[in-house]
Amino acid sequence: MEVQTGKADRISVLIVEDDAPTRQRIADGLSDASAFDVSQAGTLAETHRLLAAGYPNVLLTDLQLPDGHGMDLIREVRQRSQATEIMVISILGDEESVISAILLGANGYLLKDALLADIADTVRDLMRGHSPISASIARFIVKRTQGAKDPAARSDLNTAKLTAREIDILWGIAKGFSYSDIADYLGISRQTVPGYIKNIYRKLEVNTRGEAVFEAVQQGLIKL
Amino acid sequence: MGWGIARLQGKMARMLAYLALQLAIIGLCLLARQVSPPLPPAALKLQGVELQDDTGQFHPVTLPDFRPVPVEPLGVAVYRVTFERTPSQDLTPWAIFVPRFTTSLELSVNGVVIHDTRRNVLNRRPERNISAMATIPAKLLQDGKNELTLRLLIWGPLSGYLDSVYAGPEAQLAPVHERRTLLFETLPLLMIAGQATLGGILGMIWLSRRNDHSYGLLALAMLIGFAQYLVSMPAPPQTLGLVGAAVVAQAPLILHFIVRFIGRQPSPWLLLTFLPPIAIAMAGFLGRHDFLRSIFLPLGPPAIGVCIILVCLLLGRAALQGNRNALILGMAFSVMLGCALSDILTFTRIIPGERLFIGWLGYWGVLMVIGSWLTWRFVQALNDADSFADRLVRQVTQAEEKLRANFAREEERARAVALSLERTRLMRDLHDGLGGQLVSIVALSERSGDTTNSIGDAARAALRDLRLVIDAMEEIDGDLMLALGSWRERISGQLRAHRMNLGWSVRTPGGLPVYPGLRPRHVIQLIRLLDEAVTNAIKHSSATTVTITIETLADESGVSRGHIRVDDNGHGFSPETEPLTTSGQGRGLLNMKKRAALCGVALSISSQSTGTSVALTLPDDFPEAFQAS
Repeated sequence: MEVQTGKADRISVLIVEDDAPTRQRIADGLSDASAFDVSQAGTLAETHRLLAAGYPNVLLTDLQLPDGHGMDLIREVRQRSQATEIMVISILGDEESVISAILLGANGYLLKDALLADIADTVRDLMRGHSPISASIARFIVKRTQGAKDPAARSDLNTAKLTAREIDILWGIAKGFSYSDIADYLGISRQTVPGYIKNIYRKLEVNTRGEAVFEAVQQGLIKL
Repeated sequence: MGWGIARLQGKMARMLAYLALQLAIIGLCLLARQVSPPLPPAALKLQGVELQDDTGQFHPVTLPDFRPVPVEPLGVAVYRVTFERTPSQDLTPWAIFVPRFTTSLELSVNGVVIHDTRRNVLNRRPERNISAMATIPAKLLQDGKNELTLRLLIWGPLSGYLDSVYAGPEAQLAPVHERRTLLFETLPLLMIAGQATLGGILGMIWLSRRNDHSYGLLALAMLIGFAQYLVSMPAPPQTLGLVGAAVVAQAPLILHFIVRFIGRQPSPWLLLTFLPPIAIAMAGFLGRHDFLRSIFLPLGPPAIGVCIILVCLLLGRAALQGNRNALILGMAFSVMLGCALSDILTFTRIIPGERLFIGWLGYWGVLMVIGSWLTWRFVQALNDADSFADRLVRQVTQAEEKLRANFAREEERARAVALSLERTRLMRDLHDGLGGQLVSIVALSERSGDTTNSIGDAARAALRDLRLVIDAMEEIDGDLMLALGSWRERISGQLRAHRMNLGWSVRTPGGLPVYPGLRPRHVIQLIRLLDEAVTNAIKHSSATTVTITIETLADESGVSRGHIRVDDNGHGFSPETEPLTTSGQGRGLLNMKKRAALCGVALSISSQSTGTSVALTLPDDFPEAFQAS
């Protein structure tokens, strides 16, 4: 299905979050009406009604919803609309929620208590192809690349496709180096680093069409 | 076709070379036999020896003299010779010396018996090359003519023999006799004793390892040879039969040993070679010397001969097929064959010279060589077994260590999985409950228009701490930089919220050393300490920039230590004017000191009007137990 294009160059954003104050807070972060076309939903059913009219440029979704799980929504949207950028709204930014979402097709995460200014920046960056990543997420991924040679440590996190450079970038992020430091160190342009992150996410995505994948993915993660 | 012939020629050439080698060895043995043993000066040799005939008359005879094998068990030949002693020599003791005779000798001077070789039981055998020497008592010796009578006692199976007779000063004769005794009496005794010992050892080896019969066969041959050596003669026919059987039986034993030694199974037909010794032993029990002799002569020597021929053929064939053991044994056997051939030629008087038998010496020598070789091989096998056992022990130890390491790793992994599960459970709990509520508080505080935003800040701080707890619970394998990476993100958001800048400077490539002892509890304490430093800067310093500096520096003693510093560009504070216990900042400082002490971190805080600096010097490694503050 075609991505619903907002009026003019506005970015259409759908926020799916059951906690009204939090939802409103994120909407406040995107309050610049000339840049964002925001719609909100508090349940999955509501979301589906809105999606029937077309898929947004950006989907921001919470995981715990009153009538279902955000992971199922991420998988569904990823399968139906490749062009939609998906971010998971995470309370803690922990790898369980974020990596599971990435495996199912999300492009990044947004902390629920993120600064209002940061919310808009994150969405804009995402539209430019720059996926956000945290040090703990990067750490989680590179630690799995180390254990990948051990077949007993197989998990749903398939790091085999990552290149040495991508792994270097992840190490740099995990240790708190800035994108500029990493770019200098690896001899690449600072501007390309966020693009690498998006690529890494794409490579980690699992192509599963089965039901209840969320649980399976999480179990795989816990297995280390 | 031509190829076949060439191969045949090659085989022929090899066979000829082998035969030539063996013949050369036999020839060398015969040549060695020609080396004469020591003899006294020829001037002392007595001339004019006379032999008594059946009527009692003496007739001149030339030495060496041979007497036929007697019909009776014991034959006697009496020789007489006179020798002169000049009076000037009356002070030097004189002696009689007979280098070689068969079988026994009784010496009398002027009618008085002075020596009888039968007194030494071991010497009463025709094949021993003994010499006889007797000192003449001074009172017996007269000036001028003295008469020496030699009674040669002869018993089968060899003919009687008297080589030559010497008389003269003892000093000239004794060294010759001593050297001959060493050569022909002591040496054989040593060899037979050694053979008995070696036979005993091989026998014990065989008794405890019955699967290798070659040891048993050789041991039996050696022990039989030793036993028959001790039998004295003359002896009743029963004993002689057993001795003959023992002598002959060694040949088939050695034959069977050789067959097994070169790795073949002996054919049952070879057992026939044991029949002649059995027949000889049985003939002896009939109790007649002449019957035993008539059985022994046609059965014994031919049986030995057949065995020798079979051994030579077997060894030759095996050696030509490339069996190295057979080649060495073949040469050893040729030595033995050469010695035996020399005996036959001596006995049949085909080669001249003294009647010295070396066959037994050659045989014993070869047996000793083979026996030592077998013993050495056995010891080698033991060594091999030992080193094999050692290797096994080593491998088992290695496997055990590996297993233990695996087990430890598995335990470690199980612990990690348990921690991870616990962390996941905690994460879900926090997501579902506390975390969501804190986020709601943040959202509500912002909407309520709280100007100081203290409620929101508190809720955010609580969220940050939740993230720290979750974050610290993941294993980072001692790499503190990984924990600092997450911390950087958290404080960068916090500082941005207060419109402050974050400077982040890692001065050493790689940042900090790896701390094997680093545990989640250390990480939490350290990060909280750093958090408090940053929070103090935000709340109290009015700074615009907080700079974090991370580096590894060598201290005075050369040990690399990690350093973390939090600097702000605020107005600073004075520890003296701000009592540590009352104000919020003071309590914060006290907390920081406690946390630093728990982790073994050296904390130094300095403040002036241009800013505050909190410097942490990390320990060598983090303490297993928290240190008392």
